[in-house]
Amino acid sequence: MTAGRVEELRAYLRQQPAMLALVAGLAVVFFLAVTGLSRAYQAQRESLGSRWFGRGVADLKAGHFDGAVTEFRSALLYSPDDYSYQLNLAEALIGMKRTAEASTYLLTLWERQPDDGLVNLELARIAAQKERTDQAQRYYHNAIYATWPDDAEGKRRDARLELIEFLLQNNARAQAEPELIALAENIGDDAAQQRQVGDLFVRTLDYERAFAFYRLSLRLDRHNQAALAGAGSAAFQLGRYPEARRYLQSAVAGNSDDAESAALLKTTELVLAMDPFQRQISMTERNRIVVEAFATAGERIKGCGALQSLSAAKSGQPSPNESWAKMKPRVTAAGLQRDPDLVESAMDLVFEIEREASVSCGAPVGKDHALLLIAKLHEGN
Amino acid sequence: MIEDEQLTVDRTINGRSRALLQSVFREDRFFLVLSVFIGIFSGLSVVCFRFAIGWCRLYLLGSGAVLTTSRLLLAPTLAGLVIAALVIHVFPQTRGSGVNQTKAALFIYNGYIPFRTAIGKFITAALAIGSGHSLGPEDPSLQIGASLASVLGRKMNLSRDRMRLIAPVGAAAGLAAAFNAPISAVLFVIEEVIGRWTAGILGSVVLSAVSSVVVMRWFLGSESLFRIPVVQLERPSELIAYCVLGVVGGLASVLFSEGIATLRPRCKALPLWTQYFQPGVAGLLIGIMAVLGAPQVMGAGYEAMDEAMHGRFTWQFMALLAGLKIVATLLSFVSGTPGGMFAPTLFIGAMLGAAVGGAEHVFLPHLNVSPGTYALVGMGVLFAGFLRAPMTSVFMVLEVSGNYSIIVPVILANTVAYLISRGLQPVAIFDLLTRQDGVDLPSMEEQREEGVLHVEDAMQRADGRVVEARETVGSALQLAEKSSADDLLVKLAPNGWGIVAKKDLRRMLAEGMGELDLNSVVSGVRVPYLHPDQALETALRYVDRWAVVPVVNRADLWRLEGVISERDVLERYREFGEG
Repeated sequence: MTAGRVEELRAYLRQQPAMLALVAGLAVVFFLAVTGLSRAYQAQRESLGSRWFGRGVADLKAGHFDGAVTEFRSALLYSPDDYSYQLNLAEALIGMKRTAEASTYLLTLWERQPDDGLVNLELARIAAQKERTDQAQRYYHNAIYATWPDDAEGKRRDARLELIEFLLQNNARAQAEPELIALAENIGDDAAQQRQVGDLFVRTLDYERAFAFYRLSLRLDRHNQAALAGAGSAAFQLGRYPEARRYLQSAVAGNSDDAESAALLKTTELVLAMDPFQRQISMTERNRIVVEAFATAGERIKGCGALQSLSAAKSGQPSPNESWAKMKPRVTAAGLQRDPDLVESAMDLVFEIEREASVSCGAPVGKDHALLLIAKLHEGN
Repeated sequence: MIEDEQLTVDRTINGRSRALLQSVFREDRFFLVLSVFIGIFSGLSVVCFRFAIGWCRLYLLGSGAVLTTSRLLLAPTLAGLVIAALVIHVFPQTRGSGVNQTKAALFIYNGYIPFRTAIGKFITAALAIGSGHSLGPEDPSLQIGASLASVLGRKMNLSRDRMRLIAPVGAAAGLAAAFNAPISAVLFVIEEVIGRWTAGILGSVVLSAVSSVVVMRWFLGSESLFRIPVVQLERPSELIAYCVLGVVGGLASVLFSEGIATLRPRCKALPLWTQYFQPGVAGLLIGIMAVLGAPQVMGAGYEAMDEAMHGRFTWQFMALLAGLKIVATLLSFVSGTPGGMFAPTLFIGAMLGAAVGGAEHVFLPHLNVSPGTYALVGMGVLFAGFLRAPMTSVFMVLEVSGNYSIIVPVILANTVAYLISRGLQPVAIFDLLTRQDGVDLPSMEEQREEGVLHVEDAMQRADGRVVEARETVGSALQLAEKSSADDLLVKLAPNGWGIVAKKDLRRMLAEGMGELDLNSVVSGVRVPYLHPDQALETALRYVDRWAVVPVVNRADLWRLEGVISERDVLERYREFGEG
């Protein structure tokens, strides 16, 4: 290479293209150096973030929400966009009842992942607390149809259960019932869950379905006290007293502390003992029951001042009090033997007296309650 | 013989390749390519700067969100003392605003910013912000970018014009990387530093800003600085609430500016030995504020802004934080601690906005008030009111939030704040700082607001001065004799203008050319024309060569609106100068 050529090469190198190439090389070196630095920096931050997060999770589990909030905030210093850090912070804030702040975080998370089950569920709970029914229902529905990381079916079922509970607490039985039916279709062979569904059907006053679920529950666990009591109660409400007696007897036998079932059983037995229209009783027994019921109605009149003071009806019909007094001489075992039709008219009068008394003098108890239930049972017959 | 031929061929090839290289690497093209490299270097530097701040914060203040009392007091105080020593003895250029130093490079030093400034700013600002001084990383990032660009420009032997522009190009790159907001950075540099638009400047600034943001996002991710839920403006009446925020923000901006205007010269006037302690004392006072319950005022404060947006604080506390941040930032800034005021401005705006929103929510519960939205609008309000960059403020809010739904409230509130601030504090903060430093840099705001004279302000009526080209010299002279003017304007086909002097017409008539038409006499020389809306300075290009210049309608170039002469222009400027 001649000296001239070397000089020319040097001149080229001093020119802009060569300088640019040099700058490009420097940029590559700088870039690689910053990449190394960045890795070290990010690794340190990740480590710090997960350390603070770990502490926060421990505090959250222990119910130390205040500490958990500080620790999750510290973790977020190192990874401000971390989804689980934010979610846990929101949960800790909810634990501290700082729902306004929590809901802002949750809404941010919701925007990022609108199909996150837990975020929707927490938002639904906050909306429910604030009594924003429509919003709560929307988030609950989102949670029911959202994605869950594990045990999706269970989480969805729980979300629906919470929704039903929320609706029932807000007296929205009509909205709760379809949710409950949907829930009932999705539960498996789990006695406790079937019993729980039965309980919820009782709260929606759908005793037929409630009874069916209690029975399903009992098929899987025949000694389940709550299911026995529930089945007895549902059967009682349906007027299926023989079945009610059977379940309630089992419930009381299994749990003598179950006062509610015991009271229901007592009433059930009274109903069964005082119903003259049962098929498998003799005529003598039936007449005895009618006489007793008639006497009970008479006692009810005596105990109910409002009923006594009723004079002849404006329509010209005699009052129940007067009718009872008029019929009393005939309602004896012999009288009923002689006149079988008197059974029906005597019981009609008894039912009428019990109905009137329940309106005028409050809820009946004991035999009066049993007679009222028998009246309802045979209504329309 | 053969060697000679070979030499000739070689020279021809070399000559061609050199010509090719010269055409490819024309300076304007080369400048664009260089802008990309400036962006890359600035982006990488800003990433390192962010790491440095992070490490300083971690090792000086601790890793948790809740800090110990001893660290809160000691870290900013001791860091302040170290910073003071560094600034006085090693990096004296790091004092002051990066924006103004970039402007000084553009207007005074032909683009020269020492590389030492970048290193000094990097170290001292990282120490200051990381230790809790109430300053932000954006202005140092801007200056680091400008300084790197200046170094690159010097090494590339750029022409003086390009060198002057290179510092703003680097500044845009630094700011874009710091904010993760290229549009705002470009607008800010154009609006506040360069003050004018041309395709070349815009191309370079955009390329550098974009490349720096790409680099920054490569390392730090592309998430917006703040995340708030999308908010819809449900009722127009809500705009009244945002106007209130604009008023509050405007007044706070004035308070903040007045604080700097009053305290900075007084601190600078104190004996020299006090400058060793001023940043330390400022740090101690900020530490005391933090210990007393407001650690949020420390550092840039982005975490606290995020928390304010998520409704963590009560509106009373946020109002208090806004006030304390003004005090803390004043302490840090006037003590000469290197660092920027962008982040503190955003902090004060966010807290004020969220406080105003919170108060409105309490007193006017029917308004759909979201603290996040108000905080975000508040940021823009302070940016517009304090930094006096109204356009940038709007785009900055949109970019840092990635949320377009609040554009209307942002524009409205920012405008209100800007007008109030401008009304009560005529000198913008950057101009105030340069004047305090004894430098007379052009004020972009004053340039924007300056009255511009137009051609229509100086032009005169053209009665009796126009003749058709088909007229003869004789008839034209008859017309000219009736007019007091010395020159006639001649309409030339298809749409041009010529000029002929009265004395020339007389001479031609005397020479027996009276029957010639004007077209043959003046068609060779066409007079340039102006339009009424053109700047008066444009007229200066022509009036010295032409006795009169026609001022014509833009839609019809033969329709004369008036004429203008050198005397008219000078007369108008004289009147303008006399006010």
